[in-house]
Amino acid sequence: MPARRIFSIFLFAFGVAALSLAGLARAADSDGSDAAAMKEIRGEMRQMREERKRDREVIRSLEIKVQQLETKDSRVEATTQQLQNTDQKLKETTLELQQTNVQVKTLQTKVDAPIASSEFGDAVGRYLGTHSFTVTGAAGGDFIYDQQSGALNGLPHVSQNSFFFDWEPMILYRPTDWILFQGVISTNFGSTGTGTDLSAANFQIFLNDYITVEAGLFDQPFGDWYETQSPMWVNRFVTAPLPFGVEPVVPPAELGVQLRGGMQFGELGQDFDYTVWVGNGPNFSSNVLGAAVSSPTAVANSQTNGKSIGARFRIYPLPVDSELGRLELGASTYNGKWANGNWYNSWGVDFNYFVGNLQTRGEWLESYRQMPNGLGADNRQGWYVQAGYFLTDLNVPCFSDKLNSYLHRFEPLVRYSGVNQRGVSTDDIAGATGVGLGGVQVGLVPDFGINGSPATYAPHAREVALALDYWIAPSIVWQNEFDLELPQTGGVFVSPGGAETPAGPIPNDRAFLSQFTIGF
Amino acid sequence: MRKLFLAIALATLAIGLAGARVSAQENPSAAEHRRLFREGAKLWPVYCNTCHNARPGSEKAPYEWDQIIMHMRTLGNLPAGDVRALVEYLKSR
Repeated sequence: MPARRIFSIFLFAFGVAALSLAGLARAADSDGSDAAAMKEIRGEMRQMREERKRDREVIRSLEIKVQQLETKDSRVEATTQQLQNTDQKLKETTLELQQTNVQVKTLQTKVDAPIASSEFGDAVGRYLGTHSFTVTGAAGGDFIYDQQSGALNGLPHVSQNSFFFDWEPMILYRPTDWILFQGVISTNFGSTGTGTDLSAANFQIFLNDYITVEAGLFDQPFGDWYETQSPMWVNRFVTAPLPFGVEPVVPPAELGVQLRGGMQFGELGQDFDYTVWVGNGPNFSSNVLGAAVSSPTAVANSQTNGKSIGARFRIYPLPVDSELGRLELGASTYNGKWANGNWYNSWGVDFNYFVGNLQTRGEWLESYRQMPNGLGADNRQGWYVQAGYFLTDLNVPCFSDKLNSYLHRFEPLVRYSGVNQRGVSTDDIAGATGVGLGGVQVGLVPDFGINGSPATYAPHAREVALALDYWIAPSIVWQNEFDLELPQTGGVFVSPGGAETPAGPIPNDRAFLSQFTIGF
Repeated sequence: MRKLFLAIALATLAIGLAGARVSAQENPSAAEHRRLFREGAKLWPVYCNTCHNARPGSEKAPYEWDQIIMHMRTLGNLPAGDVRALVEYLKSR
């Protein structure tokens, strides 16, 4: 250190000066002793120089040590700083780990806990959105064999055995909880190849608990069959009853507006319902007697000259708790004008009763068609009754449990239906008019759900249908139907020009139909 | 005929405005849910079997029943209260 060095030099100088002064003083005392003293002084000075040298070396050594210590100290400081930094980082990392652990535990708790159905429903609801739609409907394939045992008024015929397929998707679209759109398209591979038909397309607006507005193209809400029994998986038979088949008594569909609703008037299950509607009105394949009544026409069609109006009322008198089953009694009417002011009126009654494994239903309907040019009225009548019984509770003792379980899926059925009308248009029989069920061309050729028998075109057609359904699931069924066509004499066949020929005796006929259907 | 249509339209409007819209339903309580479920369980085999085999609620997702029940309410003219019970039952299975 410079200060220490200066101090040592100063000390040395001070010592020399002191000794010099002491020597001068002594010189005055004695010369003899001067030599010895000088020697002693020189010795001491030499010793002091050596000591000074050693001191310098010590000082230098100490300086080196100090420098080394200073270097070490700075290193220690740096290391300490690094250690502090590392410690801080460790603390931060530990905190983060603790937070992560808490989050993991929270997530684990959520994962382990069962999700509430409401939360799941909400999540699915958010995923699906507020506007939702679903596809239902039905598909079916059938095989039809018709004996066609005899000619019909000279019209050509052949025995048929053919496969057919039909797919009827129904789209339901629900933009709000009080509006629904329903659209049904019928696509089939039938006797005329592939075809598509718009069966229904309408809006349903739920005004309140008692009134629903249905507007668009809809099944004719006359009786029960067109509205509720015509879907292929709902109909217990492959074919329709005669008054709803190739000789319909009322139009199968209508384009217009309905008001409808139902209410409870007594105990649970004691209900009353109503349906009133206006539409474009009836149409016929031609102006001749016996022309087929068909689906609604466009407003501009010349075959209609006024709107139709209809009403249906039904009552269900049995309470659910009575366990007496479900009884429905209904009455319908449908009226309008066709061909520039000629009236068409129809009315009918229907019933439906089921209890336990037994189900029965039936309808009777009648129509009046005012003919142009003063011709006699074209009156028609139709009816059907049917019954079916599920073998659910039947156990054959000699059968195994498995065999009995198959037996329980069977439902044997029987149906009797008929139509009376003054005449039938030969154009309709030949399929030349291109009208019929849902716009499908009909004639003496089977089609999906139509056995094609000439006897079904008799003015006084009668049919006994026997069926055996095998229910794989509530909406999956394999149906087998055997039709006995038993036409009565009477009535006339009418040419396109209006010429009438007595129908005479028409041969009985047999037909077999087998159909597999899925309702979805 | 024109007067008849007008009368029907006016009657519809009047009744529609007078009635409470069915969608304006408050959230039912747990007890009300149970009551609807029990009632729906009674009605399901009766109402559905009137026209077709009763299909179990598990066949469709709850959101699908919301749509299908609207379709069936129109088709069967089912009372609105019974429809609420039916859909409660069907969506619970």
